[in-house]
Amino acid sequence: MNFTNKSLQRRTMLKGLGTAIALPLLEAMLPAVSVAASTTPLAPRRLGFVYIPMGAHLSQWTPATEGKLTELTPILQPLTGHLDQLSVLSNLELKNAYSAGNHATANAAFLSAATAKMTEGSDYELATTVDQVAAKHIGRNTQLPSLELSMDLNTSLGNCDNGFACVYQNNLSWSSPTTPLPTEAHPRSVFERLFGSGGSPLQRRTELQHDASILDWVMADMRTLNRQLGRGDRSKVAEYLNSVREVERRIQIAEQRTADSPAPDMDRPRGVPEAYADHVRLMFDLQALAFQADITRVITFQMARETSNRTYPEIGVPDAHHPTTHHANNPEKLEKLAKINTFHISLFAYFLEKLKSISDGDGNLLDSSLLLCGSGMGNPDVHDHVDLPILVAGGGGGAHIGGRHIRYSEPTPLANLHLTLLDKVGVSLDAFSDSSGKLKELYDPVSL
Amino acid sequence: MHASVISRICTRNKLWESANFGVEFFHRSWRFFAFNLLLVSAAIAQTSDGELTLPQVGKFVEHYCLDCHNTATPEGDLSLDLQEAAFAEFKTPVWENVIRKLRHRQMPPSDAERPDEQTYLAVVNTLEKQRDAAVAAQPNPGRAPTFRRLTRREYTNAIRDLLALEIDAASLLPKDEISHGFDNMTVGELSPTLLAGFVVAARHISGLAVGRPVAGTSSETLTVPLDLTQEQHLEGLPFGTRGGAVFMHNFPQNGEYEIQLRLTRDRDGQVEGLKQPHEVLLLLDEELLQEFSVEPIKKGQNHSSLDRHLVVKVPISAGPHSIAATFAGTTSALRESQRRPSLASFNRDRHPRLQPALYSVTINGPEGPTEPGNTPSRQRIFACYPQHTSQEADCGKQIIATFMRRAFRRPVSPADLETPMEFFNQVRAEQGFEAGIAMALRAILVNPHFLFRIERDPLAGEPGSSYEISDFELASRLSFFLWSSIPDDELLDLAERDELHQADVLNRQVRRMLADARSAELVDNFAAQWLHLPNLADSRPDRRLFMDFDENLRVAMLRETRLLLHDIIGADHSLLDLLRADFTYVNERLAKHYDIPHVYGSHFRRVQLPVDSHRGGILSHGSILTVTSYANRTSPVLRGKWILDNILGMPPKPPPPDIPQLKENSETGELLNLRARITAHREDAVCARCHDYLDPLGFALEHFDAVGRWRELADEQPIDAAGSLADGQQFDGVVGLQAALLNRPELFVQTVTEKLLSYALGRGLEADDAPAVRKIVGDARQDDYRCSSIVLGIVHSPPFRMRIIR
Repeated sequence: MNFTNKSLQRRTMLKGLGTAIALPLLEAMLPAVSVAASTTPLAPRRLGFVYIPMGAHLSQWTPATEGKLTELTPILQPLTGHLDQLSVLSNLELKNAYSAGNHATANAAFLSAATAKMTEGSDYELATTVDQVAAKHIGRNTQLPSLELSMDLNTSLGNCDNGFACVYQNNLSWSSPTTPLPTEAHPRSVFERLFGSGGSPLQRRTELQHDASILDWVMADMRTLNRQLGRGDRSKVAEYLNSVREVERRIQIAEQRTADSPAPDMDRPRGVPEAYADHVRLMFDLQALAFQADITRVITFQMARETSNRTYPEIGVPDAHHPTTHHANNPEKLEKLAKINTFHISLFAYFLEKLKSISDGDGNLLDSSLLLCGSGMGNPDVHDHVDLPILVAGGGGGAHIGGRHIRYSEPTPLANLHLTLLDKVGVSLDAFSDSSGKLKELYDPVSL
Repeated sequence: MHASVISRICTRNKLWESANFGVEFFHRSWRFFAFNLLLVSAAIAQTSDGELTLPQVGKFVEHYCLDCHNTATPEGDLSLDLQEAAFAEFKTPVWENVIRKLRHRQMPPSDAERPDEQTYLAVVNTLEKQRDAAVAAQPNPGRAPTFRRLTRREYTNAIRDLLALEIDAASLLPKDEISHGFDNMTVGELSPTLLAGFVVAARHISGLAVGRPVAGTSSETLTVPLDLTQEQHLEGLPFGTRGGAVFMHNFPQNGEYEIQLRLTRDRDGQVEGLKQPHEVLLLLDEELLQEFSVEPIKKGQNHSSLDRHLVVKVPISAGPHSIAATFAGTTSALRESQRRPSLASFNRDRHPRLQPALYSVTINGPEGPTEPGNTPSRQRIFACYPQHTSQEADCGKQIIATFMRRAFRRPVSPADLETPMEFFNQVRAEQGFEAGIAMALRAILVNPHFLFRIERDPLAGEPGSSYEISDFELASRLSFFLWSSIPDDELLDLAERDELHQADVLNRQVRRMLADARSAELVDNFAAQWLHLPNLADSRPDRRLFMDFDENLRVAMLRETRLLLHDIIGADHSLLDLLRADFTYVNERLAKHYDIPHVYGSHFRRVQLPVDSHRGGILSHGSILTVTSYANRTSPVLRGKWILDNILGMPPKPPPPDIPQLKENSETGELLNLRARITAHREDAVCARCHDYLDPLGFALEHFDAVGRWRELADEQPIDAAGSLADGQQFDGVVGLQAALLNRPELFVQTVTEKLLSYALGRGLEADDAPAVRKIVGDARQDDYRCSSIVLGIVHSPPFRMRIIR
């Protein structure tokens, strides 16, 4: 068992020599700790994805006219202050989201644009999602390549679509076709993921070094296990080993950060706010903090689940969300649906405001971010996946020209937007799922 | 006439009738034989033990099934070709589908020609025998996954059993996902987020357990649910008090703590209900710690200052303590209210609080000098304690080895101990003995042998053959099944002596485990998930329609169902009592909700229900009726589906993609409209296939509104609660539904058994598990379907004891 001595020595050495030691991983992460603004012109430094479940009351969402945005529809009204950094995209579609479980697949396809394999077991399969493709590029040097957040602390039973495992409905992000990423909803747990468990910088460093030593042991034991298992089980261990390496990398960066990072401009959250809106705002505060401290550059956030039966009495909708979306064009129900949509958009507007209030380089965090907010369902009454409610917000480091409503004459794959976003962050792909090209209009001033 | 029946039941039959003359001809010819079969089978069923010869079953299948389920028109993706029926001896897994459909009398469809009851029984019997024989000849106990990560709940329980420490895992780890109805199925992943969560949790937990918290001081806030009515006495608080909250809190060290209370405010920031002075009481371990008084606002005062003085600094010893904050009770004379009195008051606009309420309790600390104290965790960890430095290594080794054996659920070798001992020694040298122990425990809590249950194939053995799992694997299967936690020392000792698998030892252990308090997890984990009880926490009935609904009622509903389950499982009664109990558990709040008279006070008690009561049995529980409703109305469809899924074990297929989903919105109006609509649906054969079974079950519960109150009218129209089962039983209301279900007890018991077996194995069931399920249910029938007979049946079944090599 020599490895342990070696690994312990390595950790000890690290501690003794300080952080400048040139381990390969450390080398790789050095650029991350320079918080200076990106030198590449016209590139967003951060991507955010915000999910709204079960579509929208589209006639109250979609601007009446195309081209320059002058007046916003009732649902989008809360975004008035951000007109110049807002694009409303109409007639985008998710062809691969049609299934026997349209709610599960609306969520699953939103960032993957892919078909979910119908299964209730653990042999689920989707595709790597756009945020994770981006994270592998712009997130590889930050402490967290990406951050996955949601609002539900507990699992809901019996509410997943027939035949589809709950992972499709609960997870927006998949780091591989078989790896859905779990989400966090507890504000304190998110805070500690970002900034550690507290204590003095020296204590935090020591603790992180201990964590790293422990992971060395985990790694060694997993390798031993691997040798004792059949081939089928080894691929599982290989996945686990990748996770161990990734967490080790995060710990190394966190260790670096303890030296020079200032304390976050926020108290450690003590619990979960009782009111939904307070909880959402706190989650957005944490996202802004994560961007500000450059702990991550890619975030996905599910503001509510598909088939959510959450009620919104605080805005005059005591009805459950899901049955309300089956409106059958009943005006009363449509009005309630619009209220829920407006409420969600107002919370998204809060996030934009928050990002705008934090300076970053010459501008603010919103200037350097590109945010996609929308749903994987269009008209929830018929569970369709065309004419999706989709917004793009933020300056995108100059890469996004806002103030426009772009309506595609033909249904256009949402994957085209994903392909475009990836292109903007420097990931040049020929195609993403069912994409048919890029949405040049998003940053091409000529199109106006 | 025959042809018209067929054309109604097969949605795609035109295809083959017109396009495939050969098939058409073929079917005509066997129909002739089938006519004779009816006469024959009736005679046989009367004279034999209810079995048929295989050719007779073949003719049955030809006559009743093949019209729709043939290769040309595989209705429901099922084809039962004549050839297969005749020559395969009904041994292939596909016949389990047929058995299930026939058992439930779902097939042939109700509008088609159906066999008589005796023929049904005889065919099912014969098919079951064939399938049982097939699986006996070629056992397939299935393969539970090699790696199963502890669920968040299992992790919490394991920490409790290892370290005598209660943790709030929801604040440390992401939630688990549900598959096949339970959260312990999709547990093969270890994403970086999750692993990082385990790393942080281990650091936090090991520090707390030895009394060396990572961060010096901490701050915890408990918030009281906003819709908790606090006008009366609440269960768990001292008599003579009203409102407030009581909870257990783990104090990490001996030291001085600050406890701060805040009162509930309305949305304008004003303290609610403060019209006269009130006494606020703070209790530690049921002893009065401090009494405060709050006064109505005076001129020049600000609402934010009204409760600023509700703070106390006290020395508290390390470990778990109960903290309660409440109000001295006022007179029980009618309180003044401008509105109609309501059972719930938490809503300023409609039913405002009449007296101030507790909003939150914050605990900060410890401050000043601290000590680790003498906590249950330290007592559990430090089985020895070194008097001199020279004893530290030996004692440390003893502590770490004991802990590691429990955590890894198997014997530990000197090689296993090597690294944790190095961790211990290194940190001990820097920070002392206890820090060294904490470091070793922390490392073990992240080790894959703790976080994963790993089942390994034996070294020798052909793929496709099955083997009996080891005694240690069995110990873990048992403890995670019955306790949702790690095995205790007794189980590990028996496994180490290689005795656990012996039938009498196993029986004794199962009975011991069921008698142990940890088996409450069968209710609080298994049954809660099975019945969807956790969803109640998120249910928010429309406050305008259900103005009495509040947290108090929500808690009471949950408690009723849990008490009944504990009663039946704990006292080892028949599972059927879940449906037929003629008693229930209520407190005053729930009794009022149910119109049960003469029940006073906040405590729960068992009440015998009158013979003509419509309460009793889980189908009349407010909890279930609420989680199967929408916020503002009932849904017969949701309730029907819940019964099919969880009581009858016959989950409806998802609607096909090309059929618009049943529009729930269409149910908003009157019940008659809904019935009319459902009838319209049945004209569409594809919808009818499921809704014929779904809706009549849900309709039977229509006398219960969306929060489970009894009603005679809905939208001013009398309720029609007529319902039916697929087997043709007609009934009215919940009492009729219960009776109909109890006429076929094996359907319900089989459902529970399947759910429980699936939960025990951590995988969905396969067709080859069906013989095991049949045996468990059959054996349990001799014992009046007692819970223990089902549990023992599972524990002795091949899927639980064995595993197939891949």
